[in-house]
Amino acid sequence: MTSTRTRGSRSPLASVGLHATLVVASVIAVFPVLWILLTSLKPAQHAITTDFVKEPTLSNYTYLLESSHFLDWFLNSVLVAGVTTVLGVFIAATTGYAVSRFKFPGMKPLMWTLLITQMFPMAILIVPLYNLMGQLGLLNQPVGLIITYLTIAVPFCAWMMKGFFDTIPVEIDESGRVDGLNPFGTFWRLILPLAKPGLAVTGFYAFITAWGEVAYASAFMVGDENLTLAGGLQTFVTQYTSNWGAMSAASVLIAIPAAIFFVFAQRHLVAGMTAGATKG
Amino acid sequence: MAADTSQSVVKAADDGVGNDSAVRGRSRWTDSGNTGNTGNTRNTGGLRRALATHWYAWAMVAPVVLVLGVIIGWPLVRGVYLSLTDANERNVARDIGARHIDATYEFIGLDNYTAVLGDPVFLQRLVWTVVWTVACVSITFVLGLTLANMLNRQFRGRAAYRMALILPWAVPGFVSVFAWRFLFNRDNGILNKVLDGGGIAAVPWLDDPTWAKFSVIAVNVWLGIPFMMVALLGGLQSIPGELYEAAEMDGASAWQRFRHITLPGLRAVSMTVILLSTIWTFNMFPVIFLLTRGGPGDSTEILVTQAFREAFITSPRDFAVSATWGVLILLLLMIFALVYRRSLRKQGEVW
Amino acid sequence: MRRGIAATALVAALALAATACGGDDKGDGGTDAGGELSGTVTWWDTANDAEKASFQKIAEGFTAKHPKVTVKYVNVPYGDAQNKVKNAFSSGSDAPDVIRADVGWVADFASLGYLDEVPADMAKKVDSEFLPQAAASGKYEGKTYAVPQVIDTLGLFYNKKMLADAGVQPPKTLAELKTAAEAIKGKTGKAALYLRGDDSYWFLPLIYGEGGDLVDAKNKTVTVDNEAGVKAFKTARDLVASGAAVTNATDGYANMQTAFKTGEAAMMINGPWAVADTYAGDQFKDKANLGIAAVPAGSAKAGAPQGGHDLGVYAGSKNRAAAHAFVEYMTSQEVQVQSAKELSLLPTRTAAYEQPDVKSSEMVQFFKPAVDKAVERAWIPENGSLFEPLKVEYTKAITGASSPEDAAKAAGIEFRKILKGWK
Repeated sequence: MTSTRTRGSRSPLASVGLHATLVVASVIAVFPVLWILLTSLKPAQHAITTDFVKEPTLSNYTYLLESSHFLDWFLNSVLVAGVTTVLGVFIAATTGYAVSRFKFPGMKPLMWTLLITQMFPMAILIVPLYNLMGQLGLLNQPVGLIITYLTIAVPFCAWMMKGFFDTIPVEIDESGRVDGLNPFGTFWRLILPLAKPGLAVTGFYAFITAWGEVAYASAFMVGDENLTLAGGLQTFVTQYTSNWGAMSAASVLIAIPAAIFFVFAQRHLVAGMTAGATKG
Repeated sequence: MAADTSQSVVKAADDGVGNDSAVRGRSRWTDSGNTGNTGNTRNTGGLRRALATHWYAWAMVAPVVLVLGVIIGWPLVRGVYLSLTDANERNVARDIGARHIDATYEFIGLDNYTAVLGDPVFLQRLVWTVVWTVACVSITFVLGLTLANMLNRQFRGRAAYRMALILPWAVPGFVSVFAWRFLFNRDNGILNKVLDGGGIAAVPWLDDPTWAKFSVIAVNVWLGIPFMMVALLGGLQSIPGELYEAAEMDGASAWQRFRHITLPGLRAVSMTVILLSTIWTFNMFPVIFLLTRGGPGDSTEILVTQAFREAFITSPRDFAVSATWGVLILLLLMIFALVYRRSLRKQGEVW
Repeated sequence: MRRGIAATALVAALALAATACGGDDKGDGGTDAGGELSGTVTWWDTANDAEKASFQKIAEGFTAKHPKVTVKYVNVPYGDAQNKVKNAFSSGSDAPDVIRADVGWVADFASLGYLDEVPADMAKKVDSEFLPQAAASGKYEGKTYAVPQVIDTLGLFYNKKMLADAGVQPPKTLAELKTAAEAIKGKTGKAALYLRGDDSYWFLPLIYGEGGDLVDAKNKTVTVDNEAGVKAFKTARDLVASGAAVTNATDGYANMQTAFKTGEAAMMINGPWAVADTYAGDQFKDKANLGIAAVPAGSAKAGAPQGGHDLGVYAGSKNRAAAHAFVEYMTSQEVQVQSAKELSLLPTRTAAYEQPDVKSSEMVQFFKPAVDKAVERAWIPENGSLFEPLKVEYTKAITGASSPEDAAKAAGIEFRKILKGWK
């Protein structure tokens, strides 16, 4: 019986099964990404063939950088996601602290609002926001998209940062009080420096959410050079065109920095996410 | 109504009560513990005192309240209002160069709701959305849990597996979805070429309603497993090893240990990830939109993509009906949240 | 006519023709009172990958005539264009000055007030010098809102060698197609026809073939669900179910082109816009291997839709004078002749067909009579709106997800939602 064996040791059979399962799972996880990488190195006209790379070429990359608006899209995405993140974290930080530390009239409704707005499907806001932005002349403008993304980022950041502030011992606040700091001073001088990792994780999530958003970006942004990456990539593969060569090269250029960062940061990210959510 | 007092600051406040030399800001803070308890029944005095007590908390939440009010609250109200009108692209206000065209849509009451709810399409979309959500979340959870359990042991190559398995999370979703669409291509995709090599006829991954449903679920599961796995792995690692050792000494089988130690130990984190991934999946726009655009036909259309379709794909763009779908989706999610909260409460969770 | 004779006299010398056109521009100098046109004209073109380089070059050639005007060429994929144009026009920010609109969209855009009326003298030319069926597509409520750039219709593209190998002639009817398919499958093992299943435009030849139509605009009646309509859905399903045709519900266009270009399918239904891309395929290194015939007839007749693209000017454009001049240039005879020569696209000017370059283009020579016979669609604003709901039902029917009867019925219901008050 397994129960008699000491923990951690396995029969060779179980060991093989374990590795076999994990190998299969890993292959499934990695293969699509790998295949796109291979495709990006094939000449564009062979993109859709299933041969492995026969005549490796960087032509897809040169095409992408020289003849498409990829760099524009990239910069647009960086701009929109970056500003959204900074604003989102900035606006939400004090709220996260307040709901973590105080009880005040209106707190419960606020918590509820923060929670509910995170469940908001884009479907409920997209039409009114579209009409509103249209009237303000903000459609097809990065500013319009940033404002729109704040509807996602602000409640999310507030909620998540509350979780981080919850993990900071109340004794710190008390010491601040003893030193004669008011709540703002305590927050600014003592708590915020301690919460930096939390802010970073929150910011990262806000960033990738904006970075990967598709619906608003597809509906609000038009015209080649105003698109973000999510919208721009769609122009490679439409009903009538399928430029998989450029698509795969773009995918690789987007995925590599994200993947490298992720692999290193993932432990913190998960800790942050579950802390933010469970402590609610 | 004692909820007015600051939970964590109360203790601190009590400590400080005896200290008369407290600075002004601090003494006000100190008061919060006491006044909140008693002051709420009197109206104006209560309000002033509440303001004095809570002004800092309110000041701190003000930015968010303001932002939420302006960019969520107002559009939300407008969205609800639009759903009660006949607004479409022909009658909303718009500017064409210097020419301004005024809005001419009218209030029509609940007509849109009766139209949408009376159409069998709503039920079809709802059923498929629920099937899609339940299937995605449950499959992702089970597979994520399995992989997390496997990775929660010591063996060679663990870090490499972990790295590989996390990759789908690291790549931006829209990129992965395009990659899958490329793989799924019926005539020229690698999946069918591989099957063909094995003598299996081409699978219409995205061209047959049933297969397309399978395919979108598969892609969403692929995308969702890493988060689930890593979160559960974190949960597993927080379960004290002594519990297992004690259980083993009592002669508990592997299954019994899993059933009675692992699962309860994962309860908190599971509740969270299931809630999160349910909401995410329910609202998962990119996977459907970029993989099948709701097709073939309308077989993979979920509620959110349907709302998007009404406003931005069909023409004339029907803003009112799209808003109606939006409101209905929101109502569904709120019902879900209430039920979920109630179940949490029963189990003694706080909020 | 007068212009036609003049142009013929100038033969094909492009430089000469260009000066002639420059003269024309001065003729309607009323629009640019200050004398010279200036500023930027942004043109959203929907040409496909094989065509866009050529169009960009032509468009930028406008600057040679009007040195102070900069042309900004933006290629917007056709599949997204209707939506993107609407977004841009309704927001006004970064909206293009000139768009290339599918003939089915013009009435829609015009009814929304987005298009600027074509100046009177150009409108007159549209009436007198352009093919009448093309000119009709640019009109809405009796006024001209867009100038036809190219005209097209669908034809049956076939791989001559594959058909010869199988010993069959290009099928004239769908019945012949089914017999030919067996021979092709038997001899080459390849599919006979690639029929797009993800775009309802490909449904039109089928419904016309049964003697039906989507709507009867004269009597304000939806006809997609009548007997002929049901039959058309049946035919679509039957072609696929019997193995005569293969279809695809996603990425259909790209897969169709790939299959035809690599010889995986012997025939496909497509339009002149696909010729340039098709010639790039392995099977058509020898251009003579590509044959084109009329779309196979259904049980009633052979019919293909008249399509094409018009150029329109945004009503909110800040540079309308230059934009209209640009449209006139882009639809001028020498530009049309050049597109016919380079891309096998069909001119919309009657006189252009007299030009040697056009006469010598085999593709144009095939498509011209086909275009003359093509079924003119009802130029109603809702024209473009019908395709999305129809696509859903067409895909369902062709893949067997719903019965032809149900598909026809559902399409009829959706159509009547769009066409309020129609029978």
